Amino acid sequence: MRNVRFFGNVPATKSRYGSHYGEKIFEYRGERYREWIPWRSKLSAMLVKGHEIDLKGNEKILYLGAASGTTISHLADIVDEGILYAVEYSAKPFKKLLELAKIRENIIPIFHDASKPWEYSGIVEKVDLIYQDISQKNQVEILKLNSHFFLKDRGRILMMVKAKSIDSTAEDEEIFRRVLEELSKSFDILLTDSLEPFHKGHIFVYGRKV
Amino acid sequence: MLKLRYNLWFGELGEVLEVSKDLRKSFEGAKNPTPLPFNVSELGLKVFGKDYYGLLRKIAIEVSEEKVEKELRSDDKYVVALVKALEEIEEAMNNLKEKKEELEEVRETEILENFSGSISNLERLKERIEEEIEVVMQRISPNLVEIAGAKIGAKLIEKFGSLENLAKAPASKIQIVGAEKSLYKAIARIKRGKEAKIPKHGIIFTHPFIRGLPKNKRGKMARFLASKISIAAKIDLFRGELEEGLYDSVKKRFEELRRL
Repeated sequence: MRNVRFFGNVPATKSRYGSHYGEKIFEYRGERYREWIPWRSKLSAMLVKGHEIDLKGNEKILYLGAASGTTISHLADIVDEGILYAVEYSAKPFKKLLELAKIRENIIPIFHDASKPWEYSGIVEKVDLIYQDISQKNQVEILKLNSHFFLKDRGRILMMVKAKSIDSTAEDEEIFRRVLEELSKSFDILLTDSLEPFHKGHIFVYGRKV
Repeated sequence: MLKLRYNLWFGELGEVLEVSKDLRKSFEGAKNPTPLPFNVSELGLKVFGKDYYGLLRKIAIEVSEEKVEKELRSDDKYVVALVKALEEIEEAMNNLKEKKEELEEVRETEILENFSGSISNLERLKERIEEEIEVVMQRISPNLVEIAGAKIGAKLIEKFGSLENLAKAPASKIQIVGAEKSLYKAIARIKRGKEAKIPKHGIIFTHPFIRGLPKNKRGKMARFLASKISIAAKIDLFRGELEEGLYDSVKKRFEELRRL
């Protein structure tokens, strides 16, 4: 993927910025890299498991559940000519995210509840990709709602699903099956896989708006 | 005919675009009930040129920084107030139900319907407050919610006065908080040289992992749960992000005790 290089089994993103969450910074052939450990980031885990999503570097991305910005800091390295709208509603991690947004010119921090996209509807533009990593029961509904507000036609979604947050009693496989069934009403599923062993009980789903 | 108006972060679009004189204010008011039928950035780029994203980012940072600071200062006070309100409502509901039954025994009267109406109004209010507690707790204390549930977590915060106080409290206190009355009674009996049962759990007693165990194992579970709640509160206070694995350890302990 663009601006991503593997060093052994661990990816790193090419970056001119410093460390955001304690990740290692190193040089390779005159370029600076930030180590991207799969245990810390679901997107990294997805890459380590051999999957990729197509990013040219100038995409407009809406990121739901940015938390303290671990993954988004690497995504900002990848789409270095694009724009990332980072939505997070939890105050403490958001403060850390703000530190990142103050340094990175392509991150726009939005302190709002992702389940209420109308509240930021006059801020976020139409985007190429919605990335979602929120552990909430109704995360599929939230994704659909945001896709309705902001995703371009044929735009893509990348969703990280944690079985336990959707239903703590059912079997993981059953929960994932239900999520995929629900998603496939609005999206073509392009790719999906488990994120084990890096993230227990998680899968990712990559799809395209129909 | 209804004139369409769109609230954009840099102004209002009706028949013409009125660019905002106070961008922070218009940023906060950029809400629209339905998706915009155009792309806000295309319009914005026409107005501001290549400065569009730089300006948007600057305003976004300024506005959210102020909001986040304000919320950090008041969020757990909000939870405390909600829990207090909830307890009052539950008590009022119980009283009303009791009075209604007393009336029913004496006479069939129309007033009974008014009673039922008030009770169901309170029931709705109660549900609404519980939903709000769930939302706020998820935001300020995701780990506490994960292992104790929103309601127990909120009650603990209320009892200790703030998330910070809860995080600083010893686990032994967390374990029995809410059962002070029987604790002091037991201590008083012991001081008098008599036998007494010391309570093993208070607020956390309603947790399914404790109630789901036979009586002789509840004490062990309560002690373990309280220690994990203490850790959860500390993570919530200092980091505020969900810690994977915390819930699994609690569940594992529950399964172990159940099998024993």
